[in-house]
Amino acid sequence: MAELPSQASLESESFASLSGHGLRVQGLAAGLPASGILSKKKGLGVTFWVCTAWVALMILLAVLASVLPLKAPNFQDYSSVNVGPTARHILGTDDLGRDLLSRVIFGSRVSLVIGFVPIVLGLIVGGSLGLLAGYRAGPVDTVLNAVSFVLIAFPALLAVMVIEAFWKPVVLWKLTLMFAFVSAPLLFRVIRASTLSFASREFVVAARATGAKTSRILLRELLPNIVPAAVSFALIGVALLIVLEGSLAFLGLSIGLPTSSLGNIINDGVNSNNLQLNPYIALWPSLYIFLLLTALNLMADRLRSYFDLREVKL
Amino acid sequence: MSPWGRRVQLSFPDVGSIEGPLLEVIDLHTSFRTARGLVRAVDGVSLTLGRGRTLGVVGESGSGKTVLSRSIMGLLPGSNVERSGTVRFSGHDLTAMSLPELREVWGMQVALVFQDPMTALNPVVRVGRQITESLRLRAGLDRAAANETAVALLKSVGIPAPEQRLKNYPHELSGGMRQRVMIAIALACGPKLLLADEPTTGLDVTVQAQILDLLAAQQRERHMGMILVTHDLGVVANRTDDIVVMYAGRVVEQAPTVELFAHTRMPYTEALLRSIPRLTEASHTRLRAIPGRPPDLATETKGCRFAPRCPYVQDHCRQEEPPLRTAGQGHSFRCWYPVGSAEGDAALAYNVSARLPAALAFTGTRVRDAGGAASVPNGTRVP
Amino acid sequence: MLRFVANRLLQLVVICFLISIFAFLLVHLLPGDPAKTILGPNDTPANHAILLKQLGLNKGLVSQYATWIINIFHGNLGASFLTKESVTTSLGVAVPIDLELVIVSQVLALIVAIPMALLAALRPNRAFDRIATTSTFGMLSLPTFVAGPLLVLLFAVTLKWVPATGFVRLSQGFGANLKSVILPSVALAIGSVTVYYRLLRADLIATLQEDFVTMARSKGLSTRYILVRHVMRPSSFSLLAGAGITIGTLFTGAFVVEILFQLPGIGYQLVSAIYANDYLVVQGMALVAAVAFVVVNFAIDFLLTVLDPRVRRG
Repeated sequence: MAELPSQASLESESFASLSGHGLRVQGLAAGLPASGILSKKKGLGVTFWVCTAWVALMILLAVLASVLPLKAPNFQDYSSVNVGPTARHILGTDDLGRDLLSRVIFGSRVSLVIGFVPIVLGLIVGGSLGLLAGYRAGPVDTVLNAVSFVLIAFPALLAVMVIEAFWKPVVLWKLTLMFAFVSAPLLFRVIRASTLSFASREFVVAARATGAKTSRILLRELLPNIVPAAVSFALIGVALLIVLEGSLAFLGLSIGLPTSSLGNIINDGVNSNNLQLNPYIALWPSLYIFLLLTALNLMADRLRSYFDLREVKL
Repeated sequence: MSPWGRRVQLSFPDVGSIEGPLLEVIDLHTSFRTARGLVRAVDGVSLTLGRGRTLGVVGESGSGKTVLSRSIMGLLPGSNVERSGTVRFSGHDLTAMSLPELREVWGMQVALVFQDPMTALNPVVRVGRQITESLRLRAGLDRAAANETAVALLKSVGIPAPEQRLKNYPHELSGGMRQRVMIAIALACGPKLLLADEPTTGLDVTVQAQILDLLAAQQRERHMGMILVTHDLGVVANRTDDIVVMYAGRVVEQAPTVELFAHTRMPYTEALLRSIPRLTEASHTRLRAIPGRPPDLATETKGCRFAPRCPYVQDHCRQEEPPLRTAGQGHSFRCWYPVGSAEGDAALAYNVSARLPAALAFTGTRVRDAGGAASVPNGTRVP
Repeated sequence: MLRFVANRLLQLVVICFLISIFAFLLVHLLPGDPAKTILGPNDTPANHAILLKQLGLNKGLVSQYATWIINIFHGNLGASFLTKESVTTSLGVAVPIDLELVIVSQVLALIVAIPMALLAALRPNRAFDRIATTSTFGMLSLPTFVAGPLLVLLFAVTLKWVPATGFVRLSQGFGANLKSVILPSVALAIGSVTVYYRLLRADLIATLQEDFVTMARSKGLSTRYILVRHVMRPSSFSLLAGAGITIGTLFTGAFVVEILFQLPGIGYQLVSAIYANDYLVVQGMALVAAVAFVVVNFAIDFLLTVLDPRVRRG
């Protein structure tokens, strides 16, 4: 499932978590030392914080893009076309003389928004539904579960393309909404599964027995326990969406020009002329995406193994 | 050549022709490197086992007895274990052997019966295969012969309808049957030494007796040496020739069984004996548990390891650890103030008068509270 | 046992039914008028009305849906407006391609992932494990739309080992067929390797700590035997679950690869249909793709339950 390379892993992890075999896998995945040494819990580790810093830096650059001393991303300087990295153009230029560094940074704006915003929306909608459904099993839960399964069964790319085809022109907010629509069922399922595993624990029963209201139980008891898994999953979701946008761009179905997302730039860069003449066009945004995805994946994985070990010890 | 790799050839003399003991363990140390430091699970254990004899190894949880049985075999996980000392089996030095050589020994010469058959049997593999795999891969039997032998083995351990049992999965059998299967597996290749690690824990008392009888019968028939590891003195009472008592990784008393029960020397052993409830006592008699807990094996202690819980303890015990001393008849013990000796009795009396809690608990004396008198279960008057 | 199977089948049918509704709604509820698109410059009110009647679009939604479903049961999934080719025929072309892609890519992924996971699990957190885990992370961060073109550049354009595009049917020669399929399969396998490796490794590490492994060792069995005959089976359950999801989504997930390498699989045909606003084809293919995902999932889940003697049935 290489289009959405992480999707299979997160789906299989969420799927596996819903079948009996998965609880073991979820609890003991990655990081459990099989040697006799009990590793000291030293916190999340250097790698994690480096990755977080990197992602934060990328976000910062994107947010401050207009204030930074960058050349205009769409300015075509015909005197320096297809130039490699020089002092004036740190990452070089593309076939229309546009500075690649600023194109990448401005392009990252779109990609980052497309990555993070839908997940936040999906968490709010899908997450709260998941909490409710997981806590209050019953007819509502069964219906929501079936609906989410149907929505997941529908390939994300397909749903987005179909919606796009009939909802032109494609604009950032529309794409964001579509992505949110696509990610909500997945987040719903993950949070529901997580809630289910905690809802039967004794501290929840105890809270109910002391007469706590449902909202209080949800917010004060369940939510803090679910947050680690949810955040870990959300980070993978962001990585997924960024790749999804790239795939759409590849099909020419992403944001319409002149707004450029990283996917658009890569798409430009890999059509055969450019790939051989000036591989830098495709290289820089690919590298950016590669580093961003690696950072997100590492963060998600580290979060998960950190909190899962605790669970196993319980 | 088997597809599973080539095997090392070692020669083991026939049981009958062995000179000297079957198993000799000399100053065995086994420690684990953990985040908290070095845990000395087995701290200088020596013992000997002759062929056809049974040795009981008794101790609480945490005394190191399970690690001992695995360490004797060399079955420990590789990475964080330190082992020193010598283990001699049937003329070969197990501690000096490489892994392929050890694999020759395991199963065919030395076998281990694990404690919990539910976790020690592979839940997704049929029982029959778990028995026949050693027969086919180690003893070289073909499939028909292996199945026949497996059926015979199951019959010999008292499992009814053995042909059907071969096709069962472990979770389809009862606890007692699973343990019998484990024994059958261990005996499959006719080992000369059987290590049984808590073979009866978790079973009903009647089933316990059956399993122990079965082990004894098999041992006699095959003229094996057997080591019974358990926390329960009652299990080893009538079924062993010699007993080794372990505490905190050390041997604290070692004697032929009869001698151990008749002339106990080590206070720990005495306390263990006293803690066994007896049919002859009146009902509702208070159980005489040993107060306190076994020590943390990661910390180094000065003096005798049992001192914090010992009713006979004196200052000397806290300063210097007693060495293993012999008292004739193959009886050795590790105590400065042994049971039944003049010093021992004096030490106990002193402790009782000094209101040492361990001593008071030992003699059944209750501490008198502000107003009333204490009741005493064994009739000793409170002074 | 029979009750269990019947129960599962019923669930399957209900979900498929829900999927069909969703596929239908997705296409019909969006703004955009297929009749307008088809008529193009000939769009007059009269023509419009005639076409609408012809397409059955003037009837109510429910009756359109009913017609569609009834047609499906007669084996008629609809036909394309432009090529007049029936959806069933198009599927007949597409499915073998996707089947081959799935089989080859997953076999490749498993061949790489399983030995890697075995070696890593035997000595966790040591050299090989760290290298393997890090490199699979890298694979996870390489989207297909980046990896694909790179592969093409290297193997098809520079080294000229395999053709860059086009599908050669098996009937026209095994060697040629393999050559046309190998590069896209590698592109697809890259993402799957990570998923399989991580799932299997986690399960293996957990299983290797079990008592029955020590017991098997104490019988003097060789490491190779123990791994294959004792450890692989209990550890393969999450692998199977992961494979199920990967395969299920791969049918449509191979969009980018199919378009890049010009292989007319389901994804390729779906995208063409969407471009052309060929709504009936979109509906039909989307339904088939989603149903395939669900069926594969159910089959795998069922297989898992049957294979694992520990899991209770019913």
